[in-house]
Amino acid sequence: MKGERRLASLMLAPAVLWVLVFFVLPFAGMVALSFARLQGRTVEQGFYAENYARFWSDPAIFKGLIVSLEITATVTIISLLLAYPLAWIIAMRVPERWQRLALLLAVLPFWTSYVVRSYSWLLVLGQKGVINNALIGAGLIAEPLTLSASRTGTVIGFVHFFVMLLTLTIYANLRQLPPNYARAAADLGASRWQTFAHVILPLTLPGIITGAFLTFVLCIGDYITPQILGGGNELTLPQIIMMQMGRQGNFPMAAALSVVLMGTVILAYLACARWLRLDRI
Amino acid sequence: MKILAPLYMAALYAFIFLPVIVLVVFSFQDGRLPVPPLKGVTLKWYADVLSDRALLSALWNSLLVAIVSSAIALTLGFLAAVALARTILPGSALIRGLLIAPMTVSYLIIALGLMNLWRDLGLSVSLWATGIGHVVINLPLCFAILYAAMGDQQRSAERAARDLGASEPRVLWHVTAPMLLPSLLAAFFLSVTFSWDEFIIAFLLTRFDVTLPVEIWSLLKSGLSPKTNAVGALVFLVSVAAVIILELTVFRKRRA
Amino acid sequence: MRLLATSALALFAATPVMAQEINALVWCDHTDPALLEPFTAATGITVNVKEYEGTAAGLAILEQSQPGDWDVMVIDGVDVGRAVDAGLLAELPADALPTADFFPEVVMAEQNGRDGKIYAVTEKFGYNTIAFDKTKVDPADMEDWAALTSGKYDGRIMIYDYYVPIMGLAAVGNGLATADLTVETLASLKDPLLALKAAAAQVGDVVSSQTALATGEVDIIVGGGEWLTAVLMADNPNLDWTIPKQGAVRWAQSIAVLQASANKDAALQFVQYIVSPEGQARLATSSCYWGMPANTKAGDVLTPEQKAVLRWDNQPEYLSRAQLYPVADAALDTAMQDLWTTVLQAE
Repeated sequence: MKGERRLASLMLAPAVLWVLVFFVLPFAGMVALSFARLQGRTVEQGFYAENYARFWSDPAIFKGLIVSLEITATVTIISLLLAYPLAWIIAMRVPERWQRLALLLAVLPFWTSYVVRSYSWLLVLGQKGVINNALIGAGLIAEPLTLSASRTGTVIGFVHFFVMLLTLTIYANLRQLPPNYARAAADLGASRWQTFAHVILPLTLPGIITGAFLTFVLCIGDYITPQILGGGNELTLPQIIMMQMGRQGNFPMAAALSVVLMGTVILAYLACARWLRLDRI
Repeated sequence: MKILAPLYMAALYAFIFLPVIVLVVFSFQDGRLPVPPLKGVTLKWYADVLSDRALLSALWNSLLVAIVSSAIALTLGFLAAVALARTILPGSALIRGLLIAPMTVSYLIIALGLMNLWRDLGLSVSLWATGIGHVVINLPLCFAILYAAMGDQQRSAERAARDLGASEPRVLWHVTAPMLLPSLLAAFFLSVTFSWDEFIIAFLLTRFDVTLPVEIWSLLKSGLSPKTNAVGALVFLVSVAAVIILELTVFRKRRA
Repeated sequence: MRLLATSALALFAATPVMAQEINALVWCDHTDPALLEPFTAATGITVNVKEYEGTAAGLAILEQSQPGDWDVMVIDGVDVGRAVDAGLLAELPADALPTADFFPEVVMAEQNGRDGKIYAVTEKFGYNTIAFDKTKVDPADMEDWAALTSGKYDGRIMIYDYYVPIMGLAAVGNGLATADLTVETLASLKDPLLALKAAAAQVGDVVSSQTALATGEVDIIVGGGEWLTAVLMADNPNLDWTIPKQGAVRWAQSIAVLQASANKDAALQFVQYIVSPEGQARLATSSCYWGMPANTKAGDVLTPEQKAVLRWDNQPEYLSRAQLYPVADAALDTAMQDLWTTVLQAE
């Protein structure tokens, strides 16, 4: 028994060490850096709260968090509402032997490069883009709609990605449902809606929450999509972090804002923790 | 009602494929701007891509980082999952949490943390650093998939092998790994995909030896041109071909 | 196994061992193979390039890298002093540089040198002003900065996303000389900048600005100039730019050898190539953006068409009407960046 434990510890050690050295340690370093401050161009180590104070008191920077939260919430909700029915149709309506193909098709554009995906939305959504061209050509609108270079553009770009991701996770969840549950509910006289609301939805909730949480994490920390599709009309928190670092060389401030971002994710995690099954994806 | 489901499916598939189709169509644009109207059809941009040495070496770098980092993540994740699944250790819930933790963190934060660490250690950033970062993001994924796939079945098979006198590495290699093969493949494949497509870690942790997403980003920054479409279309076609081949060979066998 | 390990090492090797490579921290115009390849062909020296965004970040990269990591740097002419103060730049031998052939206004000895020593040399310059599509706006309006916020062009304007020239333009447009820009006077620019942002549809980098103007997303680019319109002339001949009656700002980029370089000779060779007539002509017409060469001798290498696009013959007038970028110390730089973040984040 003792030998087995020693062996297990040995097998665990590389992974644990890797996470400690290349994840926990850098993160701790970043927390420490967030309490340093920039004096001229030198980083002064110490324990100063001024980066956090500035985050709190500078409306332009604080708004970055608000913008990020608004975009992330919008994206998460829209993506769930779009993806659930699609996953449902694939899992319940598509004949068994075509399901894999249908699912594969639904996530295929995932394999266009991530940077390229945002870029191609720019071509679709622009004033001279495909959508505006089609709508004007069809006589539906006279003036082009502002789709790209705005929050709408950022949200569309995100939703596209997360609909694919969520379809995948929700489908996996729906497939694990014992089919006779729904039949049992129907036999007991439940309407279709009642079956869905009282049986299926609660059973798929862990999958939905897990998908929503992943969406939240990936969306709130993303830099590329708002940078390419947002048109510089507002800044998300990751954009401000990159500006602090890429233009001002203010690493302590960038670290502090990263810690804020991390804190937001932890709050979201705690909110979903009851249903989350991250180790069972 | 009957018509609603197919209609909804069609609409969403259209939404999902719209940017890809536009990307591919305008990669053939005979002109400098990849926006309507389509002025004519040319293969010039594809020729441009295939003769661009920076792009090709970035492609090679990406492949290398994806495969090496995924292999490391898979090995570490596999060992950890086996250890946690079959032995009750003190604090194993905590360790599970620790191994999963990087999954809940934005890539940007992981990148910034590693960048600071590299600076403090006095190292120059490189593909090495990027690969290490990719192991950090893929290790939780590999661990979670493999840990979920462990069952009583292989625990008893392992025990039987051990009782027959097999050494521990032999048990892992000849019993555990083959039984978990589908999950191992799935985890490896997902890791490769994530690493292949990852931007911000590679952007902040490389200097000259960049990966493909970073090279595409600088291509994008140096001028709008159908060449970017052509790269995107090529990456898409190659990746899809790989997916289909895997689907037809490896994953089909697994279901049979 | 050992073989595998060594070959992996070779593939991953980050720092070149051979002296025949130099590492340059640059702007996007220096990444054009048409500029770099002739140099490599002639000297055997490979130039590795990495782009950076703002001076502050560039200096931070240098201060945090290892000795020998970088050999050459391209830097805003007005920021050379900050790099010299930080002890980052190596002295350049005056007799190795053809500054006698330069446009006198852009030699900028005061900015590029310190105490009689030279630390950097101007390589390219141009103007941040108003670029527009002349078929879609009234060109007469473009002669006055006030027209932009008059309401007539609301939603048709794009602002170039670099804070230094935009701050400079806001100063010029409001009768404040760029040389008088300080942390205190900067505050007076906040309202004009917010008004400009309110009239603008988007804010974007070099390529977004080029694209938006060429495809007709917007009709006016604030901060634009020849650097923006030149590469698009072939696709859209209606693009134009002008210096309004209040004036505009002049940008100038310098190139320098780094003090920590382990290849100073090769680095100097590259600098000399860049300021030679041939290098100057290639840099002036580089794929990312065009700009006037500092060296007048480049005029013998450029074609008449290229010179027309660059408006070679108008330079005396432009040079006299444009003011130099604001010269910022660290404090003013931070203040400008913070104001810029506020402007970007405004409704």
